[in-house]
Amino acid sequence: MLLQILVSGFVLGCVYGLIALGYSLIYKSSGLMNFVQGDVLTLGAFLGYTFYSLLGLPYWVALILTVLTAFVFGLLMEKFVIRKLLSKSVLAIYIVLATIAIQYILQNAIQAIWSTKMLNYPQIFPVPSVSVAGVMVQSESIFCIVMSFVCMAGLQFFMKYTRFGTAMRAAAMDAKAAQACGINTSLSTGVSWGIAAGMAALAGILLGPIYGVFIMLGSTIGRKGFAGAIMGGYGNMYGAIVGGILLGLVETLVAGYLSSTYKDMIAYALLLLFLFVKPTGIFNERAITE
Amino acid sequence: MLLEIDNLCLSFGGLKATNDVTMHMEEKKINGIIGPNGAGKTTFFNQISGVYKPDSGSIVFDGKRIDGLKPFQINEAGIARTYQVINLFKKMSVIENVMVGMHPRLKARFFDSLLHNKKQKDEEEKARQKALDLLDFVGLREFAYTQAGSLSYGQQRLLEIVRGLASDPKLILLDEPAAGMNSTEKVELNVLLRQILERGVTILIVEHDMKLMMDISDRIFVLNYGKKLAEGTPEEIQKNPEVIAAYLGGDDE
Repeated sequence: MLLQILVSGFVLGCVYGLIALGYSLIYKSSGLMNFVQGDVLTLGAFLGYTFYSLLGLPYWVALILTVLTAFVFGLLMEKFVIRKLLSKSVLAIYIVLATIAIQYILQNAIQAIWSTKMLNYPQIFPVPSVSVAGVMVQSESIFCIVMSFVCMAGLQFFMKYTRFGTAMRAAAMDAKAAQACGINTSLSTGVSWGIAAGMAALAGILLGPIYGVFIMLGSTIGRKGFAGAIMGGYGNMYGAIVGGILLGLVETLVAGYLSSTYKDMIAYALLLLFLFVKPTGIFNERAITE
Repeated sequence: MLLEIDNLCLSFGGLKATNDVTMHMEEKKINGIIGPNGAGKTTFFNQISGVYKPDSGSIVFDGKRIDGLKPFQINEAGIARTYQVINLFKKMSVIENVMVGMHPRLKARFFDSLLHNKKQKDEEEKARQKALDLLDFVGLREFAYTQAGSLSYGQQRLLEIVRGLASDPKLILLDEPAAGMNSTEKVELNVLLRQILERGVTILIVEHDMKLMMDISDRIFVLNYGKKLAEGTPEEIQKNPEVIAAYLGGDDE
């Protein structure tokens, strides 16, 4: 029982972590908040379903195509909406509101293109479940956890050890100085939004086979991912992962041992507690004004 | 001529921040720009480095039109700059700051880094060595792996200059590098500027410290109310009655 709860807690936590990483990336690179994250997850789940189940492409190919499509979506959104608004020098809150507008447009578009019905992925792996320490675990769950960690590790590596990742960190720390160092900061910001969207879509195609695909799949997860990012330390990469996983575990443990009626209540109470007691999060990130 | 600026104009609303300024600068010289507060020196700098786009006029660098290009493109063309207010990547290590400065000159792609192949290893090793050499050049080598934000004020200024040099520029723009430095640090800066020149890098410097400017500049340009008031050797500038009048505020003849 406990092990099964832990596994599903980890699955959910990894998905929160992927979403939270996206929030952190966007906050670091633009100082903004993007409400579309959760619905890009939904988009990813639907895209993956289309590529894999309707077009009959191999799962790997579907996964890569989904992530790439979302990446382009994020990049274009930054370039044609966010950057345009920024160049009008409007207040940050207006841009955040614009992302809420895009969120609902995207939600509606998904509904128009696909359907309001719940869709189910056909089985992906030849073995539907494997035995871990005597407990049967769905193969897709294990795949979701593994892929999330691969993606998170890949991002850390990219940011820390590649030339472009270093340029992105530099641009996030001080855009003016980065430009003077020959870094195309408008490109690096766009790529941050693209990566954030790509990770959200990845979360979608990983979660779709487990939860099923429906219009509202991403909206609660998007908000929870935000809560996870805050608990970890808003803007901190490690914080996003740890905060996301922590939230996923707490939520499933509450649902498993108390009642699923209280899981959201307790998750958000935890968020409030962090905001009051430790607004810099577990990783002590200075997202608040000094 | 390395840098030819002709009839440069830029207005903010009704204010002519740069008013028909023409300056030609020779290679491998130290060129100084002086002028009273609000003379438009930093605005002028910002047009050369691409932060502002001039309304009219032209900037030709090394035979190529650069006015209107983006700051990162101007850096790629071979112009580095430092800012009046220190702009370091404070949370990165000192050596990382220098290596970010090399950004446009490095080639490794994502997969080279991921595979960590020979090409990437060689480049990384070369870049690291070059960064250490540069840090040696300004005496910051022992701090290579400390956080940039924890350096002293004068050291941060030096690091900013070195980061500028890391992109192998032909020209470096220094915006008030001596600001906030004590007298010992100023003497060291004086020596450093000459060493930078010896490396074949042309310098364009804006500075309030008159003694330093007169001592170090090969040629001085004087700006006042956005206009070029005079240009010449330090001796000529010191004798120029218009310059003296501008500095003493003596327009009551």
